[in-house]
Amino acid sequence: MTEPLLEVEDLTIQYETDGGMLTAVSDASFTIDEGEFFGLAGESGSGKSTIAKSIIGGLDSNGQVTSGTIRYRGEEIQGYDDKQLNEAVRWKEIAWIPQSSMNSLDPLQQVSEQAIEIGQVHTDLSNVELRDRLKEMFDIVGLQESRIDDYPHQFSGGMQQRAIIALALFLEPSLIIADEPTTALDVIMQDQIFKYLDEVKSELETSLLLITHDISVIFESCDSVAIMHASQVAEYGSVAAVHDNPRHPYAFMFKEAFPDVREPDRELEVIDGYPPELIGDVDFCSFIDRCPWATDECGQRAPNMESVDDDDPTHVAGCFRKDEAYELYQSERDHARSEGHSGEQTTAVTEGSD
Amino acid sequence: MASMKRYFVVRFVQTFVVLWLVLTGLFLLFRLMPGDFTAQMAVAGASPEALEEIRDQWGLNDPLYVQYWSYLVNFVQLDMGESAIYRQDVWQLTKMRIFNTFILVAPAITLTYVLGSVIGTVAGRKRGTNLEKFGIVPVIAAGSFPSFFIAIVFIIVFASWMGLFPTSGMLSPGVSGEYDTWWGPYLSGNFAHHYVLPFAAVICRYLFIPSMIMRTSVIEVMDKGHTQYHRLTGLSSVQRFRHTAKHASLPLITLYPVSMARALGGLVLIETVFNWPGIGWLLVESVLGRDYPVVQFVFFIVAAFVIISNFVVDLVYGTIDPRIRVEE
Repeated sequence: MTEPLLEVEDLTIQYETDGGMLTAVSDASFTIDEGEFFGLAGESGSGKSTIAKSIIGGLDSNGQVTSGTIRYRGEEIQGYDDKQLNEAVRWKEIAWIPQSSMNSLDPLQQVSEQAIEIGQVHTDLSNVELRDRLKEMFDIVGLQESRIDDYPHQFSGGMQQRAIIALALFLEPSLIIADEPTTALDVIMQDQIFKYLDEVKSELETSLLLITHDISVIFESCDSVAIMHASQVAEYGSVAAVHDNPRHPYAFMFKEAFPDVREPDRELEVIDGYPPELIGDVDFCSFIDRCPWATDECGQRAPNMESVDDDDPTHVAGCFRKDEAYELYQSERDHARSEGHSGEQTTAVTEGSD
Repeated sequence: MASMKRYFVVRFVQTFVVLWLVLTGLFLLFRLMPGDFTAQMAVAGASPEALEEIRDQWGLNDPLYVQYWSYLVNFVQLDMGESAIYRQDVWQLTKMRIFNTFILVAPAITLTYVLGSVIGTVAGRKRGTNLEKFGIVPVIAAGSFPSFFIAIVFIIVFASWMGLFPTSGMLSPGVSGEYDTWWGPYLSGNFAHHYVLPFAAVICRYLFIPSMIMRTSVIEVMDKGHTQYHRLTGLSSVQRFRHTAKHASLPLITLYPVSMARALGGLVLIETVFNWPGIGWLLVESVLGRDYPVVQFVFFIVAAFVIISNFVVDLVYGTIDPRIRVEE
């Protein structure tokens, strides 16, 4: 097997705050292979954006990688400063699709000006070649080629998002990090954006790190997925494995919280409580307060990521009760169902509105 | 760049209309003011017949629209009337004084904005440090004193105690006859020597405005999404600084003519303390002596300056910020 494109290993990231060192990411590990579409899912504040930012050197000034490594093509990049990142990583290798395209395009620059500036920094191509290339990318994302000289305010929100994607594709990077690329868009636009990303997948050999709270999007368009809860990776594996055989309580409850067209009548799951704020090292399972099956052990040390399926060593979960939790959940649910459908629904709604 | 051209034309026409409105406003204002203009021109105790003759002679008995028309025609021909106090043509009387004031204010305020944007940028980028918290204090302190106080302190310290600069005037007495041309004195070392203190006083007085605005503006721009995006696309720190500066300077460009106008108006005190032959003192004298033709013209010059510099600023703004250009 060839070397993976990106390896994140035991990564811990902390923010310096008035209340102490806030742990945003704790011992997270995953790898992304060449050409792979990788989804990183979780609630707001689970640390998924922080991981993404640390890869490309975009952490806020009070945040830092306190342990662990990020390897890109075998090279450790977590300690790189701006200059090294500019030379070795940014845009030519790893590009970024930010959360809010509306605020990310420079309002004082034409899109083509911005692209040419980026191109001049990272390549030896002439302005004409760069413009041709941008036109090509505009074509891929479904924008008219003639509009590369427009200013951002001349685009609609969805068009700005597509222009941002075109800029991310611009230097044909090996990895694109998309941080909630569709959060600000309506569902029709969301669908289109993913159509374009699928096109990218078939036309260019780019890997994608897709960060989103919408796990159904990941199941639809990604190859692998890691589900995060409050700084820890809960479960990680191929999309098929995690979808069909989830093991971590947070993973299956999170999954069941989204509607599924194949089971239109299913009750949507509600996970009580909020992710905790973690000051200092996290040496316990961060899901303990919200988990119906938590034991004393869960509070004593952080669970290791262990294989859950002998046939598929890549499918791992970080839970002490990973071998029994899903079965317990299913039997409890079946039990509740047989007792009365409507009764459970009422409870769920009340819990949800808390 | 069709939109840019259109923008230029529209703003140009607007500027002309506003200048005309100011001219008209001044005309009406001075006609509404109490007191009789002819009383200034005649010797005290002149007979009513004599006054009536003067009125006729100056067209003050004509209907208002006739007066207004000749006012406009004369104005375009640079005929602003005669000063009642100096008995001299207004244009001849004021032109050198206007120039003296401008040559002091325009470079001083320009340098103030350059310095202020540097101070503001440094303070903004070092947010939270002691440099940011305390570095700006002397600038604000200097700006809080009245301008004549700064001028007096400068004279005491640099002219009186240290003897580095002359205490007042624009040229040493008796040297003005040595120059053949009107601009000769302005290029002399003697002028430069006299120029330093009032120039420095203007800068100290107004430096806090651009510094404070720039600091806030830089902090705001640094938090913007596009600033982070520029960084992640791998632009060098020099390139990123250029983008930040461009964004942050927008409010400063807007304020530049405002400061210039404020300085022109507020310069009376500095000019008085330094005995600078500018327009400030003439204006005070003319207002007190009801020398309407002079007051009217000086008011117009100050207003025209603000209007025209706003026009220039809008053009500069239009080239920097595409969002400001006139829409179809």
